[in-house]
Amino acid sequence: MGTCHGCEVRPELHYDAEFQIWVRVERDGAVSIGMTDISQTKAGRIMHVRVRRPGSLRPRGKPVATVETGKWAGPVPNPFDCVIESANEAVLESPERINRDPYGEWIARVRPSVPIEAALAGLVTGAAAEAGFCERCRADGIECKRA
Amino acid sequence: MEKYLDQEAKTVVIVMTSGPSTPGRCATPFYLGALLASMDAEVTIFFTMDGVRLVRRGVPENLTAMEGGKRIIEFMRDAKAAGVRFHACRPALPGYDIEPVDLVPEVDEVSSGGALADMILSCDKVLFF
Repeated sequence: MGTCHGCEVRPELHYDAEFQIWVRVERDGAVSIGMTDISQTKAGRIMHVRVRRPGSLRPRGKPVATVETGKWAGPVPNPFDCVIESANEAVLESPERINRDPYGEWIARVRPSVPIEAALAGLVTGAAAEAGFCERCRADGIECKRA
Repeated sequence: MEKYLDQEAKTVVIVMTSGPSTPGRCATPFYLGALLASMDAEVTIFFTMDGVRLVRRGVPENLTAMEGGKRIIEFMRDAKAAGVRFHACRPALPGYDIEPVDLVPEVDEVSSGGALADMILSCDKVLFF
């Protein structure tokens, strides 16, 4: 675990190029998707989260969920073709949990429609993720805050 | 409200007639557009009437819907990031002494009134702000 500008980054996770979301491969081959510390900070206090209905096929680029705050509404993007398996019921009930623990609270669990290696191919992880994450914080002047 | 999202893709046109003369009406259309786009809707915001003044370079960068609030340009960028497309009404520009080159780069197209009419007749939902 590392921090940049008060923003936590976990090198064991995989991230999209903008560091909006993190991705974790579970033991059963499913993949959890959540918001990064950068995303939850930029969004502000999260008031509503809605996830695509389990069983839905989601092409790459189509959101797996929507997030609403008082000043921002937007997607939780999907980095690969997948099928929605489940939503984190605790987050649906209390969305502000993401503001408190963005890496502990996944939003959607999905099953990739492509081999896992292909699904992760466009994501960054490890030292490259830490470096890119810090660069994003620096470039955008982001200082993270937790609820 | 349904717990899960399962709407089919829709097309939505938001006709933005509000502008800097009514700042309090200038944030929500972008918030709603971003939300609709995140729910798989294909969203176009068409700026006309006072709305074209809102996309004049230098205006949304310095305008907030409420005192001390988030700048309108940031709401616009959120909507763009979610996939919303911006059209500015070509016939409305001369009345406000605006040239297409004066518009913020977030505007995708400068379109005719006929283009708006086509969109209204072919889309699933039309909203006016």
